[in-house]
Amino acid sequence: MKRYAMVIDLLRCVGCNACTLACKQENHTPPGVSYNVVIPQEEGQYPNIKRLTIPRPCMQCDQPPCVKVCPVRATWKRDDGVVVIDYEKCIGCRYCMAACPYGARYFDFGENYTERGNEFERAPSPEYGQNRVREKGKSPIGNVRKCHFCLHRIVKGEEPACVQTCMSRARHFGDLGDPESNVSRLVKDRRAFRLRQELGTEPSVYYLK
Amino acid sequence: MQDKGLYYAYWVALLTVTLVGMGAILVRFTEGLAVTNLSNFVPWGLWVAFYIYFIGLSAGSFLLSTLIYVFGVKRFEAVGRLAVFTALISLVAGLAFVWVDIGHMERFYTVFYNINATSVLEWEIFLYNFYVVILLAELWLLLRRDFIRAGEGEGLAAQICRLLALGSNDVSPDSVKRDMGLVRILGAVGIPVAIGVHGGTGAIFAVVAARPYWHSGLFPIVFLVSALASGGALLAFLAAFFTKEGRRDRALVPTLGKLVGGLLALDLLLLASEFLVGLYGNIPEDMAAYNAITQGPYWWVFWAVQLGLGAALPLLIIFNGRTNVSPTWVGSACLLVVAGVLGVRWNIVNPGFSGQQIEGLGSAVLPTPRAFPITRLPSQLPEPTQWFFILGTLVFIGAVSVIFFHLLRQLREQRAGVLARSGAALGLLALILGSLWFIANNIPMSTAAAIGPSLTAILPIPKEYAATRFSSAYTPSLIEWLASAGIIGLAVTLFTLGIRLLPMEGEPVKEGAWHVRP
Repeated sequence: MKRYAMVIDLLRCVGCNACTLACKQENHTPPGVSYNVVIPQEEGQYPNIKRLTIPRPCMQCDQPPCVKVCPVRATWKRDDGVVVIDYEKCIGCRYCMAACPYGARYFDFGENYTERGNEFERAPSPEYGQNRVREKGKSPIGNVRKCHFCLHRIVKGEEPACVQTCMSRARHFGDLGDPESNVSRLVKDRRAFRLRQELGTEPSVYYLK
Repeated sequence: MQDKGLYYAYWVALLTVTLVGMGAILVRFTEGLAVTNLSNFVPWGLWVAFYIYFIGLSAGSFLLSTLIYVFGVKRFEAVGRLAVFTALISLVAGLAFVWVDIGHMERFYTVFYNINATSVLEWEIFLYNFYVVILLAELWLLLRRDFIRAGEGEGLAAQICRLLALGSNDVSPDSVKRDMGLVRILGAVGIPVAIGVHGGTGAIFAVVAARPYWHSGLFPIVFLVSALASGGALLAFLAAFFTKEGRRDRALVPTLGKLVGGLLALDLLLLASEFLVGLYGNIPEDMAAYNAITQGPYWWVFWAVQLGLGAALPLLIIFNGRTNVSPTWVGSACLLVVAGVLGVRWNIVNPGFSGQQIEGLGSAVLPTPRAFPITRLPSQLPEPTQWFFILGTLVFIGAVSVIFFHLLRQLREQRAGVLARSGAALGLLALILGSLWFIANNIPMSTAAAIGPSLTAILPIPKEYAATRFSSAYTPSLIEWLASAGIIGLAVTLFTLGIRLLPMEGEPVKEGAWHVRP
């Protein structure tokens, strides 16, 4: 059985935010909704300072706190480990956003970058293979949205947009179910860690530090 | 409301607020949640605070009504029906607030068939509905006989009462006895339900392990205690100013007031426990919440609304021998408690979003004004605000000292009070010293520098003032305020209509009736 996972090498990440933009282009996300962000962190004090950039997609937790709290079963974890949202079921209560320890969920307030939405913004988003066009009063406006490892791409055998675009090859995507896959080998690296593991969320996104 | 002019002014003001509010809700309905100032950092705001506020008022006043109908405390019988009716209206208002808060208002009914058994919110939705049924049934049983009696008359009120009697016409003492038996059963069933309704609402927050400020077993209990305090206070206020009985029986409101005072004190104890354990723990996300509460942009909600007006002042009035015999004084104090609990509710919801789930998350590139509340704020509070904060602390110490001294005077009259007196004096000393240390820690850096090294050596002023950033920065938008006013206006309208048209106070005391008082 497939178990999708991502490994991000922090020593390779240069913090260019290309993943952020590739994601926005792929999923046609509006202002305020950014499935991927690159978090800048600083350690130490001048002159002994170290800067770290941590790209943060959705962790696709194995024990997702967001799924547990949804009152309408609008979000769930698929067998392949990807946590998805049914835009037609979601009532927009935002409980999952409060429950997510990674801030990986976003609410679509219905805003556009341009006043009425330009050609790009009005183009359908390939998310979940549904090709939805964002229109006032209709889903996904008024819904919670999140990274889904570009499910529509991986079912076609492609990599998620952020992985494909990463110029320093910091991101690796693959199947943990296959012991020979790149990610299976990388997660065994002694540099591997996961964010906020202490909460028992069992993220599917690993980092190499 | 005997004065006709006042009566009309009341209605005009109420209906204006309600209509403007309805307009705002309409705007929210057509434009979506973009009209709010919520963000992806602060997904829950004013409406959620009002939601838990009204659910709390409802559960509190219902639980007090069970004192009468289940445990037979005849003392409060005069406000029994009012309590159940208030519980109903408050619950409806609370649910209205959740409804305007969800992203897809038209899908609200799906919660009844898309069931997720692991979601506390889902359990709550079912409990709320079960609770509504109990409230309606209980209220009808309480009012049934008076509906029939009032329905015999002429006019609008009589017609409504005839309609609401639902065809029942048995006014025999036996039927009343049966009614009260059923009310007792419903009340008994209602107790765990009401505890579930509000304790569970606390659990909605408490189960969120990702936010340490909420994630505490004490949280649902705090919800319940403050619910009881606010519910009791609302009843005392209504009894003092809106019922004949409250004016006739001069001891009723003060007795209710003492109950509220006790609950309020318990609430403060729980608050102190939460704070001390949280501060000692020193978890960054937790500390962010406590910083936001005590010195964030809404520091005044905590110091002035929640502690000053909502706790210290009412406690002074309720436990002062000169004021606590007057229904007007105690009723006003209770109104302050009702208002203060709103601050409690705000400080439950908003500070939960203060911390950044991952350090630096707030400064990640996310090109939108909405998602950037954190960068719009100064990293440190302006100096005047800090001085207000210190003033607030001083006022708080003063208020608490007065209470302490009052208690000391009470104890003096008892012989065994020596130990208790010295204990209380030590407590007061500790409080004053602790507060001084707290103030010293919060003196603005520039002032500390001006004071000079001599004083800074004595006072434990930190060398480097911790720059605190508040990512929970969120100011409710105008539409949010107006829509809230609309819902509250509607609730008050319904309440006023209920009081005017329904036999809320029952018939005049008569031989053989169930609520004969000795």
